[in-house]
Amino acid sequence: MSFLYPAFLIGALAAAIPIVLHLLRRDVAPEVPFTAVHLLRRSPFEQTRRRKLKDLLLLAARIAALVLLAIAFARPYFTASAEGPSLQIIAIDRSFSMSAPGRFERAQAEAREALARAGRGQRVAVIAFDDRATIVAPPGGAGEARAAIDALRPAYGGTRFAPVFDRAIELSERDDARLTIISDLQRAGWENETPVTVPASLDVDVRDVSVSAGNLAVTKLRRDGDNVRVEILNGGASPASGTVRLAVDNRPAATAPFSVPAASASEVAVPYRASARGVLTAEIDDPAGFAFDNRRFLLLDATGRPEIIIVGDSVNQSGFFATRVLQSGDADAGFDVQTKTAAAFGGVPQEVLSQQAVVILLSTRNLDRRGRESLAGFVRKGGGLLIAASPDVDPTVIATSMAWRDFAAVEQPATGAVLAATDLRHPIFRPFGALAANLGQVRFTRSWKVRPDGWEVAARMTDGSPALLERHEGSGRVVLFASDIDRRWNDFPLNAAFVPFVIEAVRHAAALTEVPGEYLVADVPQGGGAEPGVHTLGDGRRITVNVDPRESVTPAVTPVEFKARIGSAPEPARPPVERQARQAEGTQNLWRYGLLLMLAALVGESVVGRTR
Amino acid sequence: MPAPAPARDLRFLDPAILARLGTMELKARTVVEGFLAGLHRSPYRGFSVEFAEYRQYLPGDDLNTLDWKIYARSDRHYVKKFEEETNLECHVLLDVSASMAYRGSAPMSKLEYGSVLAGALAFLMHRQRDATGLMAFDDRITFRLPAGARAGHLHTLLLALERLQPGQRSSAARPLRQLAEALIKRSMVVVISDLLEDSEPVIRGLRHLKSRGSEVIVFQLLDPHELTFPFQEPAKFRDVESEEELLADPATVRTSYLRQLAGLTLKYDRGLRGAGIDYVQLDTSQPLDFALLSYLAARQRQK
Repeated sequence: MSFLYPAFLIGALAAAIPIVLHLLRRDVAPEVPFTAVHLLRRSPFEQTRRRKLKDLLLLAARIAALVLLAIAFARPYFTASAEGPSLQIIAIDRSFSMSAPGRFERAQAEAREALARAGRGQRVAVIAFDDRATIVAPPGGAGEARAAIDALRPAYGGTRFAPVFDRAIELSERDDARLTIISDLQRAGWENETPVTVPASLDVDVRDVSVSAGNLAVTKLRRDGDNVRVEILNGGASPASGTVRLAVDNRPAATAPFSVPAASASEVAVPYRASARGVLTAEIDDPAGFAFDNRRFLLLDATGRPEIIIVGDSVNQSGFFATRVLQSGDADAGFDVQTKTAAAFGGVPQEVLSQQAVVILLSTRNLDRRGRESLAGFVRKGGGLLIAASPDVDPTVIATSMAWRDFAAVEQPATGAVLAATDLRHPIFRPFGALAANLGQVRFTRSWKVRPDGWEVAARMTDGSPALLERHEGSGRVVLFASDIDRRWNDFPLNAAFVPFVIEAVRHAAALTEVPGEYLVADVPQGGGAEPGVHTLGDGRRITVNVDPRESVTPAVTPVEFKARIGSAPEPARPPVERQARQAEGTQNLWRYGLLLMLAALVGESVVGRTR
Repeated sequence: MPAPAPARDLRFLDPAILARLGTMELKARTVVEGFLAGLHRSPYRGFSVEFAEYRQYLPGDDLNTLDWKIYARSDRHYVKKFEEETNLECHVLLDVSASMAYRGSAPMSKLEYGSVLAGALAFLMHRQRDATGLMAFDDRITFRLPAGARAGHLHTLLLALERLQPGQRSSAARPLRQLAEALIKRSMVVVISDLLEDSEPVIRGLRHLKSRGSEVIVFQLLDPHELTFPFQEPAKFRDVESEEELLADPATVRTSYLRQLAGLTLKYDRGLRGAGIDYVQLDTSQPLDFALLSYLAARQRQK
């Protein structure tokens, strides 16, 4: 047993007080002359002995109470008998690349081995990760961890390592921990990720379960006049060939041979004129590769240009820059934009409003009750709403229109703060690529300080205040930008990142995809299925879900490269040993038992004392 | 033993008042006169043949008691009343051991109380023309005044009582034996002691005295502290005779002590009363009348 604050044990010396008092009291007992001392001496021995026993019990109880109090203050704890940290975190990659034959079984075997290495006193947690990291077994016994490992199966997501560290740090916040990552170390797992920094208390161990087998994958599928073009990726070390099969609504439509050189991709043109409706599937055979990337789906349903209403202010010409951006696309990629004043928005017929993909709200001046109700109804029925803060937008009007009781925003100066994307893999920022760095060049003068309750924060200002937020409302989605897009509170419209930002924000608010109706597993909107295939959303819209083609790319990073991407946080001010001790003590809380025992000793002392 | 009259004034028998009085003679006189004044028509009046008073003749009176000289001088019939007189020899044995010097909450120590009692008894005896002797002892006889009835004898005895000092350890058996050997004729022996010692030798000694024809009365003097053991706080109790020390918590040993004391008292009571010896336990905080009444009862038996 060790103590967190051993200095308090000096307080145990107070246990000597009853003894000293007893001795002193005996010494200072007044001398009383008496005549019949021999009669006193004849007191029954049993009684005297019992009295002595009681006295000893009382003394022992008092000493025990004082010692226990000192021990409780010294905060005792048991040091772990097993070597190593007290928490073992096993993170298993279940991205679809792990579906290669034998790969996931090997990962499970590695996990069981790591579990077997855990000491008897160690707690074990299990994390399963692909695009997201999920704690499938919270810190606890090995039995639960083993059951969780056995129950795991490969999923359809891509690899993403950053969330694993987030979860591991979250779990190890109070403990020294060892994180064992068992993965095929797909390189895509590190793409577009901010650098990972782990605390010194988290020891990272990497187990590579990749095999050198190749992989064939269908990575793109599109119509091109009388052909359907299928991109096939060969991740193997030798050329591969085979046949690509097309099907429409599960009915075979066409086939074509393909031949792809080693470690490269080839586009195969399959002679087939696709119909206007249905779901087109391209499939190849790859028994040695990943299981879920051999098919790809394409929605053939005709789609028009998304329609957008910008609610602005005619006096300030708000929405000028946004309108230019949204109308700049070509015939297939652009938007049909119409501008309305807030006062006129209430007069938009419902049948027209229901055709809109997104409403961009840049002003609430003179937005009447009918307009507010139309706006709320539009969003709840599945429409997208993009709100940009500005002097013309009243947060109160928004809160009352959408019936958000917890919504609050306050205009504030934003001196020196710049925009920083919290998650570069967020659908709005994912297409930015290197352009994301430009976000830091935008100069803000004012912004809203928004209470983030009920919102998901996609980007923050460097002063920590939320800059880009989103929330679901009914079947629709609301995206809120905490500064304006009309160059009154910032110079964002002059920045190169403004165009993709507006387009992607609108697309995200409208749940639009690059290819209409096509989603990756990680981006499936609410109500859609998580596995590749065709799904119907709540509003009746059909979508296709495909696996992330980046996951199909081989080779992976090596464990050394993997570890090189992990930075260490600065050493904490406290020595690790002390931190470990604090964690152990905080977990065990033995001082509570000490105080309970002290209470029991005092109760015992009271009972024995009363029988005197 | 007849009970004293309830209306008696006990002021002058109170040890607290006696303690403030001066000489032993004054104390003894105060006790006896106070005691006798309270007796009124005591049945013990008229023990001696000394003249007591004249009373007018009433029909039925014994003609032998008529005082013919008064009749000759005054031509009136008076009856002459006499007090009885004996030649009883009375010995007072006073324990002067160290334990008798103990004084707890009482106004007087046991030795002082015993001295006043002895003095009062001597005074009473002297009034009755009895020869009175005094013997002080601890584990041996430290002072002895032979019995006498002369006029100056009482003064000598009272002076001796006043000068008595506490002695050593008490052991009454040997002095009792020595006294028994010294007594020639039937006497009355009054033993005044706390008797806080082994009871068997003492009882044997007293029985021996009784067997020699003496009337024996034993006054056991105990201080209120010895009777009730009222101490509260743990203390180191030091024996005033043996210097033996004992650390004890009164709360714990009180019951046992009182039981031991009651056992000792019971031994004396049974051992002495069984032999026809009066045994009277006296609380030194209480008036002396009960002691004197006890004496008078024994005196009556001796007669």
